[in-house]
Formats: sequence, C-alpha cells, structure tokens
Amino acid sequence: MAIEDYRGDVEMCCRCSACKHIPLQMVKGVEHSYACPSIARYNFHAYSGGGRLLIAKEMLNSGFKYTDKLLDIVYNCQMCGGCDTSCKYAMDMEVLEPIYEFRIRCVETGHTHPALDKVINSLRKQGTMLAGAKGKRSAWAAGLGIKDATKEKVDVYYHVGCLTSYDKDYQKLARATAKILKKAGVDFGIGYENESCCGGRAFQMGYKDDFLKQAKKNMDMLKKAGIKTLVTSCADGYQAFKVLYDKYNLKGDLEVLHITEYLARLIKEGKLKLNKKVNLTVTYHDPCYLGRLGEPWIHWQGKKIPGYKFVFDPPKVYRRGTYGVYEPPREVLKSIPGVKLFEMDRIKEYAWCCGAGGGVNESNPEFARWTAGERIEEAESTGAEALATACPWCGKNFKEAIKESGSSLKVYDIVEIVGKAI
Amino acid sequence: MALSKDIYKEFEDVVGAENISDDPAIKDAYRSPDLTVILPGSTEEVAAVIKLCNKHKIPYKAQSTGWMLFAPTYDFIFLDLRRMNRIIEINEKNMYAVVEPYVISAELMAELFKRGMICNVKGSGSTCTALAMSGHGHMGMTTSTGDRNDLATEWVTDEGEIVRLGTLGASDEWFCGDGPGPSLRGVYRGGGVITKQATKVYHWPGPSAFPLEGLSPRYTLSKKPSEMNMMVRYFSFPSIEKLIEAELKIGESEIAFELMGFCPSMVSSNITTSNEEDFETLEQFTREVQGPGFMVIIAGNFDEDFEYKKKVLAQIIKETDGESLKAVEDPDAEATLLFQCTRVCASIRETFRAGGMFSSMMVQGQRYDNHVRWLEEAAVLKRELIEKGLVIADDGQQFGWGEEGGHLGHTEIFCRYNPYDEKSSKAVQDWLAKVGKRALDGCFAVPSMGILPVDVIGKRASNYHIWFGKLKKAFDPNSVGENTGFSYVGADTSGVHTSIYQKPEKAPPKK
Repeated sequence: MAIEDYRGDVEMCCRCSACKHIPLQMVKGVEHSYACPSIARYNFHAYSGGGRLLIAKEMLNSGFKYTDKLLDIVYNCQMCGGCDTSCKYAMDMEVLEPIYEFRIRCVETGHTHPALDKVINSLRKQGTMLAGAKGKRSAWAAGLGIKDATKEKVDVYYHVGCLTSYDKDYQKLARATAKILKKAGVDFGIGYENESCCGGRAFQMGYKDDFLKQAKKNMDMLKKAGIKTLVTSCADGYQAFKVLYDKYNLKGDLEVLHITEYLARLIKEGKLKLNKKVNLTVTYHDPCYLGRLGEPWIHWQGKKIPGYKFVFDPPKVYRRGTYGVYEPPREVLKSIPGVKLFEMDRIKEYAWCCGAGGGVNESNPEFARWTAGERIEEAESTGAEALATACPWCGKNFKEAIKESGSSLKVYDIVEIVGKAI
Repeated sequence: MALSKDIYKEFEDVVGAENISDDPAIKDAYRSPDLTVILPGSTEEVAAVIKLCNKHKIPYKAQSTGWMLFAPTYDFIFLDLRRMNRIIEINEKNMYAVVEPYVISAELMAELFKRGMICNVKGSGSTCTALAMSGHGHMGMTTSTGDRNDLATEWVTDEGEIVRLGTLGASDEWFCGDGPGPSLRGVYRGGGVITKQATKVYHWPGPSAFPLEGLSPRYTLSKKPSEMNMMVRYFSFPSIEKLIEAELKIGESEIAFELMGFCPSMVSSNITTSNEEDFETLEQFTREVQGPGFMVIIAGNFDEDFEYKKKVLAQIIKETDGESLKAVEDPDAEATLLFQCTRVCASIRETFRAGGMFSSMMVQGQRYDNHVRWLEEAAVLKRELIEKGLVIADDGQQFGWGEEGGHLGHTEIFCRYNPYDEKSSKAVQDWLAKVGKRALDGCFAVPSMGILPVDVIGKRASNYHIWFGKLKKAFDPNSVGENTGFSYVGADTSGVHTSIYQKPEKAPPKK
C-alpha cells in the first residue's frame, strides 16, 4: 500500500477533532482529555491526526512540498495511534496507516531526519537501534546457562530486544526474565549473537525497507531454529513480530507472546507462583505497541462499492484498538501479593503515549520527555508510588523525564516486580 | 499574498515564534493557501493581534474548536484559539461555568457531572467548544438552546478593545449577561472574538460518571439505565400530527429530560459501530416503525419520580397511538443511546461516517406545525436525491427536538454525501437553495444556514442585514473582522464558519 491507496480515507476526514481527544465518553474532566501528544504540544492543527490527513490530501492533489516545517510535522509524531483509535470510535476510515505511508514516502524520497539516519546506520551496521552500542548483544547472559535456541531445540524463544540487550540499566530486565522463566520450568533459549533487531522501530521511523530486511532475516533464523513460540518483553518487538510481520506476510504460524501474556498464562496454569509480598501501590501504563497497536493485523482486500457510502466489498473490518493486550499485564500485577493497582484516567486503548516511539526519542528528546512528563503527572495523580510498564523504551523515557523533573515516582517494568515476588 | 517580514515579526512579537506560521504545510491543514495562522494564548494576545490587524488593515478570522471542513475563503490572519483551553470557574451555587473557547463540551460535562450538573451541548457534539452562544443541543428540553445560556462575557471587539459584558462590566461576577454593565448580546455574535464566557448549568439527576465498561468502539454501561432511574425509548407514530401531539404533551407534562426527534437512521448510526452494521440496522428499524418518531430520555430524581414520569409517558404514548421500537428497549442499545445522547451528544457517527460530509437545513423557533411541515417538504425533495443515488440512502426524514419544555424547538434535515463528488455536492447545494427559498416563499421560517444570499433573506426579515451592516461598520471601521453580514453562528461559536456569506455591496433601495 502507498499513500495514494488511502486517498478515500484522507478525504473522509471531516475535521471533527475527535482525533485530538480520547474517546469522548472516556473524558473524565478538563485534565487528561487529550489523546495526541503532537497536537497537545505543538497546537497547530497540522500536528493532529486530522491535520496530517488534510496535508496528505492537499499533497496528493498538488504534489509533495517538503518544507522544513512539513518534516517537523512528520517527525514530531510518536506514531502512537491515539488519533486512530479516537477517530475510529465513530468513523470508518484509516488514520494511522496513511500517516505511516506519508512518513515512508518522506524517507523514500530522501527527506529523512539526521538523528534517525544515525540510528538506521547503526541498524544496518550492527543490527541494533542503539546507535553506538558496544559489546556483545548477549553479554547480559554470560554465566546464566541459557540455551542457544539456534543450536538446541527449545519450546520458547525469548527475543530480548535491542535496549534490553545493550543498555546496562536494562540488562537486569533480561536477567529477571530469564530467572522467572527458569523458575516456572520453561524450556527456553535465546539467539545470542544471532538475535537481531526486530525492525519495528525502523518501520515507525519510516524506513520500511530496513524493516523488511530485518523481518526476513529474523524469520529465516527462527524458521531454521524450528521456533514455534516467541516471547518478548519489548512492546515494540511484540508489535513487530506479531502485527507488522503478519501485515507483510512474513510471520507464518509463529506464536508471538508478550512476556506479560506468557506470565499470566504461567500463573493461571500454576507453573509460576508469586509468593513473596511486594508492598507497592502501582499504576500501569499501557504501551501503545502492546495495547492499541498490538491488535492483530487484519488481512483484508477489497474495493470500495461505487456510490456515496464509504463501504467496501467485502466489508472492511477495521483495527480500532479493541483487541490489544490490556488484561494480561493487569492480571499479572494483581497476582502479586501486596501490590495494589490504581488506574490512570487514560488507559487501555486510549492510553497516553510515553513519548518515546516513532523515533521521537532520537529526533526530538525534548518532546519525548515532555510527553513522558504529562504521563508522569497523570500517574502521580492516582496516588500510586510507582509506575509500572511493560516496555523498556517506555520505562527508559519515563526514568529520564523523572530525572529531569525531580518527581519521586518510581518506574518499574512488570517483569522486575514479578522478579521481586518469586 | 504573504505578510511582509516586518509585519510578520510584529505578530510574532505578540505570540512568540512557536505560535505563528505561514508555512505551506501548516496552511494545508487549515485548507487555505493565504493564511498566517496565529495561536494566541490569552485575551491580551487576542486583543494585541487584532489591534495589529487594524493597524495594517489585514482581515482576520478566529476559530474556537472548529468543526467540519469549512475552509476560510478570504481571511488572512487566522486565530486558532486552541491554547485558550481553561475552565476558569464552576460556580455551583449560582449555577454557571466560565470557560475559554477551547474547552470542549466533553470536558465541561465531565466536570459538571461530578457536581450533579450539566450544560447545553450543541448538536455538533461534545468535541466542540463549551462556550454558550448559539447552538442547539439534544438536551434542549432541559437546558434550552445556546443563546439562552450565555451569561457574562469577555469579548474582544474587531478594533481590539477588550469589553466585559453583563455583570462582568460592573464587577468580577459572571452571573448575568445583561447587567449591571453593558449588554451587547444581540451584537457580539456578529464580530470580534469571545475569549471567556459564562454559561448556565442545570441539574443532572444521573450519576457523577457513567459506569462505562468495554473497549472502543463498543462501550456500554455496567448498570442498566433503569438501575440509575433512567430510561430511553424511541416511539414512532402513525402520522406527523400524532407525533406533534405527543411532543406537546410531553413538553407540557415536564417529564422528559431529553426529547430528540431522531429519525431511525440517527438511532441506528448511534448504536452501531460501522457503516455496514448501521445500514443493516436501519433496514430493520425502517420495517418496524410505523411513521415519524422521536427518542425520549426520562431521568428520575428518585424512584417515585422515575415511576411517575414513566407512567405519564406511557399514558401519552397510548393516547397518541405511539409504538415503541423494540430494539431500543434492549438494555445495551438503551445504554448506548443514554450516554451517546447526554454525555457526548451523538453527532459524528450520524453525520460524517457514511459519506464524509453532511449539509443541513435547520431552523429554531416553533418546532411544531410550520417548521416540521416545511422540512417534511424538504424531505420529499431529499428523497429524489436518494433515488438518483446522489446522497446517502437513509430514511430521508427531518428531525428535531423540543426546547424549554417544548415552547421552542429545533428542526433540521440533512443530506449525507461525499463532498469530493461534484455531482453530489452540486445536487446538495441546489437542494439547500430550493429548501431555503421555499422557507421564505412559504413564510415557513427564516433559514439560518444555507446558501441563500444574505440580502435575499434580509429583505424577508425586516432588512436586518442593513442594520447589521451599520452595526458592523460601527464596531469594525477598518473591516478587518468577520465579513459575513450574517448574524448566525453555528457550532463554531467564535464567529467562524459562515464566510460563504458575503456582505451586500449595496443596500437595497428604499421602497
């Protein structure tokens, strides 16, 4: 699909501004009513989902004019899909897909962001989105005796992810995950140096070809290793393997689970027992790529039925954020003795983004931290002492924003809290 | 034409470089090639910008939330009031709320629910501004209409003067729009920018927040409406006369929280989550209804009140041969309609989803007899367009609702269509023109939203446009403000969306 294929969708935008707010039923007051960080921060309509579609419409009609401002608009978006979910509460049209295609068009025509180019160069050279990453990808696993899934048969393949593999502060997540899986008696392995970036963040940044290269490389490795089930603790990785690989017909019958889904399953089956009390009041942040954008891909091909209704043959089933992963992380948290869960105003399919996605973390760190700061304030308003999340990228961005703001809120990955309970 | 660098800098000095742009990408999103967009953050900034517009004789237009694809047609400085998004005060004792232009109704309603109160939400729905002003809403039976709700107002004139109207002109209080202090309620809709306004609020007998559950797009309530002393029903009638009789009786008996003259297509749009589901449901409804209908929401303050209102409603429906649409009696459908039509006030699903756009003929005043009959005629003309495949094939009916217990009412009919199809767009514009002309020729109403030139309407309405032109000249000597010559302001209440109307060049000769 290309941006041209979404002409009908971009023309459906009626400028109702639903894309700027969370679904209106869920607005709980004048605070925390916005869905889209980009319009909330930059205010010009161009930065909203609808504004982006109007720009696309004009440029489809009269050609693409790549001004600095246009690129500022294009790259100051976390691709979090908040606009898409809010719009689709009421409308039948794609919002995020044309926004993706617009960004891909920018990259294809050489209108890239230098900070993102740097990250992609790292991906091309080292197979990681962490520019300047040093050392071995699997250094964290030294001495843990974890199976090499490319050499031995395993029931479950644990995809660690770039940040968790290379960032010294996040390697503890990988170790905690390994400890939990061992405790539950799971026969699992990792790819060691054969693991490579999922490519999901490259796709978010608009580098579709780089994403596809990574996807093919990963699936070749997984197929060769006979992997049937993949578990990852990275929301971006989860969405890439589960949704994007499927979108491009690369996933096959690979079962993709986020660690929170897998932990919830292990707890339910009695294989993982959380016995130690963890006295903690937490609020849970739904990562966009695990929540609304973690909804399975829907393969659909059809044509608009001639006439004035925007309907298709066969009927188009839209991804509206309904079937993302929302309950498993909550079930896991509720299973931990002593943990009390408080919900924020914006949750599940209408959760506010952490700010790190879509390359914003790299292209505009100030905007990434601002977005995180909004979420931190919302988390604090629940009275919880900690913010739990299920994605290392979210966690890292929150921690950096907290460092800047001086907030006393603690940030944990759910895996860390589970680790304390076993 | 673009602003010179020097003039641009003058505006930039007022709002800061981050809040002004004339970049083509920004302008594309505002659908005009000739705009400089400015985002003022305060009343003082609005006033300073307008003063600069006067200094340089540059026209401007302001927008609160905006709604629909109304492209500015001549404007040069575009004030997007997005940054002015604060609730200034909710005064529970004196029953009003003071808001800036970018507070949306969903936000204000959520805050008011917590306090056992509601406000008028305009028919454009709760993504739109919570400023009072013009704008008719579904809850008009309880909250009346927008222009009955505006109290004290802070207004920046077309010359950039900050004027405080009503009680605000004599004190710091917001409780009255007419004084002590200057009252310009009949004037300020024609120009300037409202920067803060108090709106009346009303008693809400329902919960402080609806107990919503589920995930978008299919939210529902964890409680049945009846458990909250609320009930939603849709009744159809054998004739328009019977419907009017029932509406009047319901109004007189003061039992309805809301009476919304939805046609079945609006009900089906609101309870369904896709176009396909919508049109299937509509087919079912069309088979079941016996004729024109309306939706009623009953809200009891306590058990006995709820039972009393239900009994009175049942008696009225019996006397007028009404029939309840069974599908709406289903608690899930009933719940959806309840929160859609009170908290959100519907709108997007029923207007835009099917074709992307709608165009409407609406009128406020005596709903009964005149207006309903006029729009019944419009419905006949609309069905011709449906048969030709030019607009969405819905039930083609007029709809509306009673206001102030039924003393007043809003009546409307719209066509939904694809705005990018030339044939369809032209057919709808022609339809509006015909319906508007019929309103005047048949002495049915003064059409408030359509494509008739303002002088055509003005001639039939006490030449108001001439008076309006004089007022405009007095308040806007440099002609920088909204140049509509038309006093109606719809969903977008900062005086924005009527730029299709042009001020008449010459006053008509005196007879």
